Amino acid sequence: MKWFLNSMLGYWVLLLAISLGAAAIIYEIWLKGRV
Amino acid sequence: MFDFAIAGVQAPIFLLVLVGLTVGIVGGFIGVGGGYMVTPALIVFGFPGYMASGIDMTHIAGKGLVSTVRHRQLGNIDWTLALSMIAGTMLGVELGVRLLVYFKHLGISGVVLLVTSVAVMFTLFLYTQFETSRAHKKMEEMEKAGEKLGRELQTSSLPTYFQALPLAPIVNCRTARVIVSMWVIVLVGMVTGVLAGFLGVGGGFIRVPALVYVVGASTHIAVGTDLVEIVVSGAYGALRHSIEGNVDLMAVLFMITGAMIGAQVGSIATSYVRGPAIRYILSYSLILATLGAALRLIYVLTGQNVEWLSLAAVVLTLGEMIFLCLFISSLVWFAVRRRAGKWVPDWVAPLVV
Repeated sequence: MKWFLNSMLGYWVLLLAISLGAAAIIYEIWLKGRV
Repeated sequence: MFDFAIAGVQAPIFLLVLVGLTVGIVGGFIGVGGGYMVTPALIVFGFPGYMASGIDMTHIAGKGLVSTVRHRQLGNIDWTLALSMIAGTMLGVELGVRLLVYFKHLGISGVVLLVTSVAVMFTLFLYTQFETSRAHKKMEEMEKAGEKLGRELQTSSLPTYFQALPLAPIVNCRTARVIVSMWVIVLVGMVTGVLAGFLGVGGGFIRVPALVYVVGASTHIAVGTDLVEIVVSGAYGALRHSIEGNVDLMAVLFMITGAMIGAQVGSIATSYVRGPAIRYILSYSLILATLGAALRLIYVLTGQNVEWLSLAAVVLTLGEMIFLCLFISSLVWFAVRRRAGKWVPDWVAPLVV
């Protein structure tokens, strides 16, 4: 867990994972079937 | 769900406000209109392509104005630089549009557009990322040695070369503290304008690195000055699209509600960070947009049969906006913590003020 904060690459990976997860949830709930 | 009568589409209001807010924050922070993120997002929400482009352009004009006013208050705009560049930009955009029409006649505009987007954005990403990492490392060393850090540090030698060109008239850009040939500024406007006109975007993601690495302006000045260009091109685009009937004003209204707040937050956030932090965010924006365009290119080249590629491009477009916002917000949060004397990661310390 420390690596995700103390390394810039780790922080990048952590935020990207959170963002893509949130985007996937938005897609599943509101956009599926419309694209 | 809201029924957008002009566009003939039903879409969730909060998603439009959210897109406006996130792109507003990113646009105010790195000095871009964000068209390369908004237009695909609106198409995903069900808006037709031409309507997505019109709504995007209209909201960019309003949002750009808010960001510009904020950056002016922060002293980030060099008007000499901005006004000198506008003529070159307009000429470049016109040339870019004609180039696009030429490829359209050849019937290969779609693939050429995507290939050019990927090539331009990836090259800019590589250069910005490479240079910013070098500047970041240097700042970390200075920080460890207890030296005082300024608001800007860039390690590229390109500006020295361009500033030495003895082509009259030579312009003194006082706010940017740059003395350079007018032709260099006009040429930067024109080349970035050609790419913007050809790719159908505002061109902020090309102009900001060009202002930093060619003209030699600081990143903060590049962001503020570029936003002036965004307002001019956005206003013209909004007018053209409105005349053509490509704008659904209700969609613009919802988007701009979020964008007005986001643009102010993004602009003010620049005062919490040093130049390299803005360039990092710009480079991340470029690599994610490159990936999105690459996915769309593969989707087109495979005959639009591989469905998961289309889905991945959608998730990446939305994810990119959320990612950039989270990164910008967290940098501001780290800056506030650092000012309060609290712990922040070592890599953050040289990036925030």
